[in-house]
Amino acid sequence: MTPQEADAAAAAGAVVVDMRPPKPFAVEHIPGAVNFQFNRADLADRADMALPRGNTYVVHAEPDPIAKVAVQILAEAGFTVQGYLEGGLKAWKAAGLPTEVLPLLNVDELKDRQGAYRVVDTREGFEYRFGHIPGSELLEWTEAWDEMAKVAADRPLALVCGDQVRSAYVASVLQRLGKPASLVFGGMADWTERGYPVEKSAK
Amino acid sequence: MIFKQYRFEPLAQASYLVGCARAKEGVIVDPSDDLGAESYVLDAADLGLSLVGVFETHVHADYVSCARELSEMAGVPLHIHEAATGLVKYGFTPFTDGQVFEVGKIKIQAMHTPGHTPESTSYVVTDRARSEDPWFVLTGDALFVGDVGRPDLLVGDQALDVMDEVTRARTQFESIGRKLFGLPDHVEVFPTHYGGSTCGGVNMSGKVSSTIAFEKRFNLAMRQPDADAFARFVKETSKPFPDNYARIKSYNLGLIAKDEIGKGARR
Repeated sequence: MTPQEADAAAAAGAVVVDMRPPKPFAVEHIPGAVNFQFNRADLADRADMALPRGNTYVVHAEPDPIAKVAVQILAEAGFTVQGYLEGGLKAWKAAGLPTEVLPLLNVDELKDRQGAYRVVDTREGFEYRFGHIPGSELLEWTEAWDEMAKVAADRPLALVCGDQVRSAYVASVLQRLGKPASLVFGGMADWTERGYPVEKSAK
Repeated sequence: MIFKQYRFEPLAQASYLVGCARAKEGVIVDPSDDLGAESYVLDAADLGLSLVGVFETHVHADYVSCARELSEMAGVPLHIHEAATGLVKYGFTPFTDGQVFEVGKIKIQAMHTPGHTPESTSYVVTDRARSEDPWFVLTGDALFVGDVGRPDLLVGDQALDVMDEVTRARTQFESIGRKLFGLPDHVEVFPTHYGGSTCGGVNMSGKVSSTIAFEKRFNLAMRQPDADAFARFVKETSKPFPDNYARIKSYNLGLIAKDEIGKGARR
């Protein structure tokens, strides 16, 4: 799809699925895009777990050969896919279309200003119970789309997972809804490496 | 650390992906056109990595490289040692001996190991998440498992070559003996060829990796007493020239187009 076609599709309600890694996504992405990890082995399974089938999707992945494969995988898995953005972000920007940023936090910044954020852990329940940032709330990434409206945004949201893949997905879903989401880059791996406190819970 | 060896068996050629699992960034070394630029891009994406660079250990003579296509497709620099400047007729990002490339917690240090070709470089890789000591070295066609890269693959146009066959052999002996064998014994060796490849001699092992310590003790070419004996030994133990090597090398130098390579590239 040309940038104009992708833009028109998004304006008509299609969800742009950005399959680049979280870092380039955070730096710059198409407004409203949802960040979702590419992987030929399990993309269909993970999409089935997290992405609603009622939506229409437009793929953004770079370079184009990845986008083509992603469209094929999602379509074969039964998702409605209109196509992919040819030429990626470069073509999008060349067409004069706007982009947005997902704010990044590292674990030190989060630790220093923890009270300023509502920390949301996007891992699975068993991972959260094993050890999470004190005071953080659990919102499993597979539930994010259905639960996103319920997430309180009285404070800025800091999204956490093991690294930054699942948290980037949830952060992008919340940002799409207009909520003030930041991505904690490095996640629990960095947090525990620093020796910062973790809390366990029985259930 | 993410590390993958890709093998194209018909040419006994190995290419590599080296990346940082934390930073989600990676580089490709010595990509093969037989596997194709798309295959590397897709594999990096499967691993959740952003490609940040393409590296050649040298300009190859026995297989068609896809480094240019890959660098363009991924929108990242193509790195070759500065000695290739002028020989290579396309744009690349030259580096110097000892230059360090940081990929997240992974450190890739260029070690200029000329001999097989003037620009030949080995890449010494350290995973700082594990240790400040190097862990392995990508030796290109300098040091092979059981053998060494041949010094006699001169391009058709002799004017383009800055070293003759004997100078190359002597230089190769010094590069391996003084530089690569100066690395800690535990360092693993991952070459660009193994087994049946015609880029080395008859003593090349089918095993796809080794260590500095093992090659120091048992590499027959490097057991020769001096550079002259080494040069004679390498010549005596050489295999026939690789198929169509002059045209493959000419393509890899940017002198001819891909459709002019003709048969012999086994593509």
